[in-house]
Amino acid sequence: MNVLVLSGYGINCENETLHAFEVVGIKGKIIHINDLIQNPKQLNNYQVFAIPGGFSYGDDTGSGNAMAKKIMTNLYDQLMDFSLKDKLIIGICNGCQILINLGLVPSLNKKDPEVALIENKSGSYECRWVDVKVSNNKSPWLENISTLNLPVAHQEGQFMIPINLLKSIKANNLIGLQYIDHHKKLAKGQFPFNPNGSKDDIAALTNQNGNVLAMMPHPERALYHYHIPNWQSKTLKKFGDGYKIFMNAKKFFA
Amino acid sequence: MTNTIQILSIEKTGKESSLQKEHNNKSIKIIDGYFFSTNLDDQKFTKISKLISNDVSQTILTKKNVNKVLSSYSNFNWVVEIKFLPGVTDNIATTVKEIIKDNLKSSFKSFELGSTKIILIKGRKEDITKISKNEANPLIQTIKIYPFKKYLNNFKKNHFKIEKVKLPKKKYSKKEINLDISDHQLSLIGKLGIEENDKSRRGTLGLDLESLKAIRNYFSTINRKPTDVEIETLAQTWSEHCKHKIFSAKIDDIHEGIFKKYIKGATEKIIQLRKDNFCVSLFTDNAGGIEFNKDWIICHKVETHNTPSALDPFGGAITGIVGVNRDCLGFGKGAKPIANTYAYYLADPNKNYQLYRQKNNKDPMLPANFIAKGIISGVRVGGNCSGIPTPQGNVYFDDRFAGKPLVFCGTVGIIPKKIKGKLSHKKKANPGDIILMAGGRVGKDGIHGATFSSEELDPNSPVSAVQIGDPITQKKMSDVIIRELRDENLYSSITDNGAGGLSSSIGEMAKESGGFIVNLEKVPLKYNGLYPWEIWVSESQERMTLAVPPANVKKVIKRFNARGVEATIIGKFIKKEKAIVKYNKTEILNLDMEFLHEGYPKLDLKTSFPKIKKEKKKIIKKSSLINKLHKLLSSPNIVSKEFIATQYDHEVQATSIIKPLQGEGRVFGNATAIKPLFDDEKSIALSQAAYPQYAETNPYDMAGCSIDTAYKNLIVSGANSKKIAILDNFCWCSSDEPDRLYQLKEAAKACYDYAVAYQTPFISGKDSMFNDFKGFDKTGKSVKISIPPTLLISSIGVVDKISHLTKITPDDGDILLVLGNTRNELQDSVYSKIIGYEKSKNPVVNSKIALRTYRNFEKANKLGIINSAIGIDLGGIGIAVTKMAIASKKGLTFDLKLKNKISVDQFLFSETQSRILVSLKKNKLPNFKKIFKASDYTIIGKCTGSDVIEFKDNKKIMRGKISDFAKSYKQNIKGL
Repeated sequence: MNVLVLSGYGINCENETLHAFEVVGIKGKIIHINDLIQNPKQLNNYQVFAIPGGFSYGDDTGSGNAMAKKIMTNLYDQLMDFSLKDKLIIGICNGCQILINLGLVPSLNKKDPEVALIENKSGSYECRWVDVKVSNNKSPWLENISTLNLPVAHQEGQFMIPINLLKSIKANNLIGLQYIDHHKKLAKGQFPFNPNGSKDDIAALTNQNGNVLAMMPHPERALYHYHIPNWQSKTLKKFGDGYKIFMNAKKFFA
Repeated sequence: MTNTIQILSIEKTGKESSLQKEHNNKSIKIIDGYFFSTNLDDQKFTKISKLISNDVSQTILTKKNVNKVLSSYSNFNWVVEIKFLPGVTDNIATTVKEIIKDNLKSSFKSFELGSTKIILIKGRKEDITKISKNEANPLIQTIKIYPFKKYLNNFKKNHFKIEKVKLPKKKYSKKEINLDISDHQLSLIGKLGIEENDKSRRGTLGLDLESLKAIRNYFSTINRKPTDVEIETLAQTWSEHCKHKIFSAKIDDIHEGIFKKYIKGATEKIIQLRKDNFCVSLFTDNAGGIEFNKDWIICHKVETHNTPSALDPFGGAITGIVGVNRDCLGFGKGAKPIANTYAYYLADPNKNYQLYRQKNNKDPMLPANFIAKGIISGVRVGGNCSGIPTPQGNVYFDDRFAGKPLVFCGTVGIIPKKIKGKLSHKKKANPGDIILMAGGRVGKDGIHGATFSSEELDPNSPVSAVQIGDPITQKKMSDVIIRELRDENLYSSITDNGAGGLSSSIGEMAKESGGFIVNLEKVPLKYNGLYPWEIWVSESQERMTLAVPPANVKKVIKRFNARGVEATIIGKFIKKEKAIVKYNKTEILNLDMEFLHEGYPKLDLKTSFPKIKKEKKKIIKKSSLINKLHKLLSSPNIVSKEFIATQYDHEVQATSIIKPLQGEGRVFGNATAIKPLFDDEKSIALSQAAYPQYAETNPYDMAGCSIDTAYKNLIVSGANSKKIAILDNFCWCSSDEPDRLYQLKEAAKACYDYAVAYQTPFISGKDSMFNDFKGFDKTGKSVKISIPPTLLISSIGVVDKISHLTKITPDDGDILLVLGNTRNELQDSVYSKIIGYEKSKNPVVNSKIALRTYRNFEKANKLGIINSAIGIDLGGIGIAVTKMAIASKKGLTFDLKLKNKISVDQFLFSETQSRILVSLKKNKLPNFKKIFKASDYTIIGKCTGSDVIEFKDNKKIMRGKISDFAKSYKQNIKGL
């Protein structure tokens, strides 16, 4: 089983994302988007497709937009096809923004994007650790996980969803992760527990099969115990919470 | 048909909210505008709009809907349109062009476009003017204010315009300059620049009369007149910025200069004294390098970008950070940047200084808060977009930075020791190697940057000196170099294009081969019409120069191009020690390399003892200890800088291991650590320190304190004392005045003494010598504002084991101790500034005592005796202990029954150096006592775990709630 980790044009978390997969035993390769466009058939060699975080095209014209348009023009069908198979796709942070802009998530009425990620309510970039709870535990990415402590780092992480769509997202159980407070209750928009003012405290969405996950927090930055803030004051196991997400990918193919 | 695409967010954006809050106006809306140079037909308009907008969250304005859409928000009546001046880097426009090119392929060829911010308000004209002043910088942007009706009309009639760079079509003919002229005329060339045919001047060269005479002499010996390009090149190469003439000059009886004697001299001495040399590359390369582990080298470089940041804070700061990133890329064969550092020295953002560069309130300095905000966001965008974590930094405020802010930007890089069996830090351009320029194109950006940053900021400071970095172009280039070229040894040398542009990068690299020949017409340009000398010295960003063996050139260019990066052959390196530049076959520069690099007249500097400016007396305000603590905690130089830490991504690359915000209570730490390799538990600890507030009293002690603090912070964090290196950044003022030079010499001498005492070598450094503002105040009175001499010491150290890393949070029952003795050293302290003056001394570092503390601490920490620790600096023990309580959210008791002779306030707030506040588990005390002599520490209290800090003396108990202290400590800085 192999993971393709996308790179290029300002994506910048590819090394640590690949490392996280490797630690759980999934081999992989970092592939530049231009090389993938040149030879899209190589997608057949991979079972997991990961779009890491970063600043593709400097977030100009909206985070993830420019890269999504590049994929839309050159690779959309192949990627859609990938998502319909028994394969996994994950988009983290900028990758999440790209998946949302592509409409691969929540993908309730195909092709056109239905959800947007807009600027944080605070108006500023937020790099901080948050707690999230798993809402859709049917997604192979999120199976058997209840809560996670992970960092976010973004300027545009507020999910904006038209009301009717939100209803069907809930009806279809497509909310992947939600921000919670110190008492493990939903953050209810309260800063800094919900760092961006996201509607319904949404931190991640999935498609209907659950095999495509678009998440704003960074699991690859919470891989080891020493990644966790103030780890010296805690009794911790070797790994941080982010590990669970990657391990789930491994289990899916086991 | 239309020539504009304008997009607005359906819901209120964060930016809109903050504008509305700031200006107390609920009717503010921002439009993202794109102005095209040609008209778009309906089909193109629809296609492009769809490409650059979001259907869900945004609305595209059209002639038909504009009125209806906008009136649904408010009854707007004023508009401000902000766009970049022609030629200023417009990163958004570059992206949009790329999106159009990528997705519409060839259907839309030649066009220009500019990004625009349009702000609409309902309010008065004064309101929109005020907003425009906060949102735009007239130096780089045009600001048009007009009524909303006109806006609608512009929309209807396609009246939105972009101005392209229109340079007159000039045919270049070789220009020779006559230097056989009077001394007065000669100095005018130096001060105002070369005279054009129309009698206008090109802008300062920063060459003094002696240098111009040296140039005249050289050319008279070779029997010809110099060309303009030759003079421009010499001005760049000989600039203070590039040659550091003051540091290399004879000064009083120090013939070899203070750099050789005190800075390099210290490192040489240390290497001689120590058997375990861990330095790999010193002073000569773009950054300094030390050994990290058996396979890897880490390098560090800190730069300043002061003058550009005074003119365009955002552009100056972003250029500063991406510029120093390139210093890493240009270290050895190319190190990967793995951490950024920052330090800002700013005026009070809440004050209105009203300074002008010209008489009659003309040419104003930007407001202090505009400068502060711009600098903070410049580094945010530069660092975040490049995917380099920015964990380590600090900010300091003082009125004396009102004329010039100091912006220090640093980068740490990592590189394997060997690449294909060859030492990676060694590089050599060989004769015959091709000169390849990779990355961005060349425009008029930053012309004369190197020469003018060596001058004082006055009305003649050229505006074209401003550059704006483009981190994405640089990221693309950097990825190719580090991942696809370096490890195959495809090039023989590499360096970055910073100050002085190609003239400097090629000139420096050619020392490795002998000389060079460059064909300037080959250099890709942003727009036509640049003169050859402009191409040669332009400081357009995001460019690296590589020396590539001819056999590899095709491969290298192909790899760059495949990643959307331009790379162009512009010349070759030669063996002959000649610098030759051609433009369309005409030879416009031909200099001996020796003269180019060493021909400048050496300075002979004299110093004189300065008048000591005594601290002004300020009456002590009577208030309780608890109140004093609150006042100090909320003062701008102590208050938390959390708002910066959270907007700088410090987690990217997944290396952050000691974070900028520490403890559950999130205290802004003074050292951070990253673990750069997945397969080695070794970490890198980073810190920095500067004490401009101590400089006027005693520059020697000031420098001692900076080194001590920067070193101490790493010891406290858990670094191996044998693997700590430091960097010096001198930011001085009026460095042509003997008393300022005296201070410089003293500070440099302290650098030698303390570095040698601590055996911590300098590995790299940079100086900026004229941080003065000459201008006028609002009454028209001429004023000169000089920064206080500021020496930033940055420290980098290796932490051998994860278990050595310390924390600042004590646990219930811990005993609290202060390591090191406290003296009455309140002079120039935060206490004396905020609470009042006490007759006192300035902090003096006793390196012998300090080292004893540090070595013992290191030993105790490795043995697991220390439970938590924090370095004591601004605000003394009082602030350190409060920070511990805030960080851990755990109460403490503090015993004020002092045995020594000093007063309670002196004990609590004195800024005596070399002290560490530590906590121990009770049962570790016996082991602790085996290491520390009783006279080397004081037990001051214990951690109770309650919610208060209690100070007890013989008579009473004073209590303060931790949550209240935290509130004071986390107050917003007024004006930011």
